[in-house]
Amino acid sequence: MISTRLLMPVFFIFVSIGFLIATFNLPKAKMGDPNAPIYFPAVISIFLLIVSVIYLIREWRAKRKEDEPLKRLKAGRTPVLIVSTLVLGLIYALVFFHLGFLVSTILFLGALLFLVNGKSRWLVNIVVALLFSLASWYAFSHLLNISLP
Amino acid sequence: MGVDIQSLVDGLMTALQPTNLLWLAFGGFLGTVVGMLPGLGPATAVAVLIPITFGMDPTTALIMMVAIYSGAMYGGSRSSILLNTPGDGSAIAATFDGYPMAKKGQAGQALAMSAIASLIGGLIAVVGFVLLAAPLADFALKFGPAEYFLLMLFTLSAIVSLSMGNMTKGFISMSVGLLLSTVGIDLQSGVYRFTFGLPQLSEGIDFLVVIIGIYAVGEVLYNYLSIDKPLGKKKRVGEKWITKEQWKRSKWPMIRSGPLGFLIGVLPGAGGSIASMLSYTTERQLSKRSDQFGKGAIEGVAAPESANNAASVGAMIPLLTMGIPGSGTTAVMLGAVIMLGVKPGPLLFENDPNMVWSLVNSMFIGNILLVMINILLVGLFVKILDTPPKVLYPLILVLAFIGTFTLNYSIVDFYLLMIFGVIGLFMKMLKFPIAPLILALIVGGDMEQNFRKSLVASDGGLDIFFASPICIALIGLTILSVCYPLIVNGIKRKKMRTQHKEWDM
Repeated sequence: MISTRLLMPVFFIFVSIGFLIATFNLPKAKMGDPNAPIYFPAVISIFLLIVSVIYLIREWRAKRKEDEPLKRLKAGRTPVLIVSTLVLGLIYALVFFHLGFLVSTILFLGALLFLVNGKSRWLVNIVVALLFSLASWYAFSHLLNISLP
Repeated sequence: MGVDIQSLVDGLMTALQPTNLLWLAFGGFLGTVVGMLPGLGPATAVAVLIPITFGMDPTTALIMMVAIYSGAMYGGSRSSILLNTPGDGSAIAATFDGYPMAKKGQAGQALAMSAIASLIGGLIAVVGFVLLAAPLADFALKFGPAEYFLLMLFTLSAIVSLSMGNMTKGFISMSVGLLLSTVGIDLQSGVYRFTFGLPQLSEGIDFLVVIIGIYAVGEVLYNYLSIDKPLGKKKRVGEKWITKEQWKRSKWPMIRSGPLGFLIGVLPGAGGSIASMLSYTTERQLSKRSDQFGKGAIEGVAAPESANNAASVGAMIPLLTMGIPGSGTTAVMLGAVIMLGVKPGPLLFENDPNMVWSLVNSMFIGNILLVMINILLVGLFVKILDTPPKVLYPLILVLAFIGTFTLNYSIVDFYLLMIFGVIGLFMKMLKFPIAPLILALIVGGDMEQNFRKSLVASDGGLDIFFASPICIALIGLTILSVCYPLIVNGIKRKKMRTQHKEWDM
C-alpha cells in the first residue's frame, strides 16, 4: 500500500504543474512585453515544483513511520463533525438569501450547536442560537448599519 | 522629519475623545475575551472581529483594531497561565512558569504580573515607536521598486526560515500564497489570470476571506480533533496582586525585555514568539535563581510577557511605514488596515499624521486601560474560560461566516471560506506554517508589481537588483536568512558529535 504520507507532496506537485500549464496558456499582454503577466507565476510555480519534490523525497524516506495526523483525523467523532460542519455551511450558503439573515443564522447556529454540543443540552443550544443570532443581527444591521438580507 | 510634537499632541487629543476611548476599552475587552479562548489566538481574534469596525471612520476603526490586537495579546496569556493552552506562539513562553505558578495557587499573581509586564513592555515600546517610526519612514522614502521587491523577498524568506525545521513546508506555504496572489486581473496588462471564467475572482481572492477561513474556520475544525478531551484543569486564582518581593525580582527582567522585544518586533519576519522565547532564555541565563525557572519563577512570567507586548508594538513600525507585516497576526492586522482604506507606507506619516499619532497614543492609553480591565475583571475573565468550547466553536464559526459576508456581500465568499477552512485544518495538522502563506498572499501583488516595475526601469536587465547599497544589503540578509537554519543545524550536529565522542571515550 502506498503510504498516505505521500499524498500531500504529490498533491502539491500536481498543483504546481497545473499552475505552470495554466501560466503558459495565459493570454499575451497587448501592451509592453507580451510575456509580462507570465514571468512571476511561472517562477513561483517552478519554485513550488522544486520544493514539493524535496518534500516528496523527505516523506518517501519516512514512509514506514505511522501517519500520525491521519490517525487523529479518523479518531472518534472528528470526521463526522468536520463533514457535517462543512455540509451545514454549504446549506447555509444556499439558503442565506432565500430565508434571510435571521432565520438562516438561527437554523445554522442551532444545527451546529446540536451537532457539537449534543442533543442533551437542547435548551442551552436553542437559547444560545436565538440570542446570539438576534444580537448579531441587531448589532450588524442597526448599530453598524450593514445591510443584511 | 524628527518627532513632530504638534502631531503627537494632536494625536493624543484625538485618542482621548470619548468615543475613541470607549471603542478602545471595548475593543480591548473583546480582544482579551476572544484571545483567551483556548486554542484561538490573536490572529483569529482580529480576523473574526474585523467586521465590527465596518461603518466607523478610519481613525476610530484603526484604534479599535489596535485595541482588539493588544487585547488579544493579553488574552492569549490568560489561557496560557490558567489552562496551560497558549492561544499562539507568542503566549507559549508564558506557560513555562505561569502554569506552574497557577498550580501552586498563585494564578492571580501570575495574571497580575503578566498584565503589569505587558504594560511596561508596551510603554517602553511605544516610546521606541515614537523615536524610530518617523526616521524609518524617512529611510523608506529612499526605497524604489527594486528595494521594495527585495525587502518583501527578505521578509518572506525570514518568516519561512524562522519556521525552523519546517523550511520545505514553509516554502510550499509561501509559494501557494504567492500563486494565490496572482489570481485575478493583472493590473499592468489587464490580462485575467487563473479566474476560471468566474467573474467573482476577477478582482482576486480577498485575503480577508483566506485569513478568516484559515484562522477562524480552520482553527475550529482543528480543535474538533481534541473536542472530547477534557481541558487542562483550571486553577484557583488565589491572591490577585503581586507582592513587593515579586516586584523586586521582576523589575529588571521586565525593563530589559521591553527594548529587546521591541527591536525583535521591528524586524520583518520575527514576532512575539521569538521575542518572548529569547527574553525568557536570556533572563534564565542572567538570573541567580535559574534553577527555579520552569517551576513557577515570577521572572519567567514577567520577562516574556514584557517582550511579547513590546514586540507587538514594534511590529507596527514596518507595518505602517512600509506595509510589511512581521508575523501572522500582524499580517491579519495589515489586512484590516488596508481594508479600512489606509495605505501603509512612508507617505502615511506625511499624508495622515493625525491618524498615525492618534494610533500611537491609543496604543499607549490602550495598554493602561488593558491593565485596568485585566486586573479589575480577572474574576469575570476566569468565568468566561468556563464557557464550554463546544458552545464557543459554533459561535466562532457563525461569526466567521457573518464577517465574511460583510466583506463583499457575496455568497461565493462562503464557499471560499470553507475551502480555506479545510486548507487551514490540513496545514495545522501537517504542521505547515501558516504565516508565510498569509504574508505572501498579502504582499504578493505588490511584490510582483515592484518586480516588473524594476525590470521596466532597467529595460529588462537584472542589474537593477544590485544597483544600490540597500539592494545589496537586502540580498545579503535574504541569503543569510535562508542559510541561518542550515548553519544552526550544522552547529547542533557538530555539538552532538563531539558529545558522542566524549561519551565514547
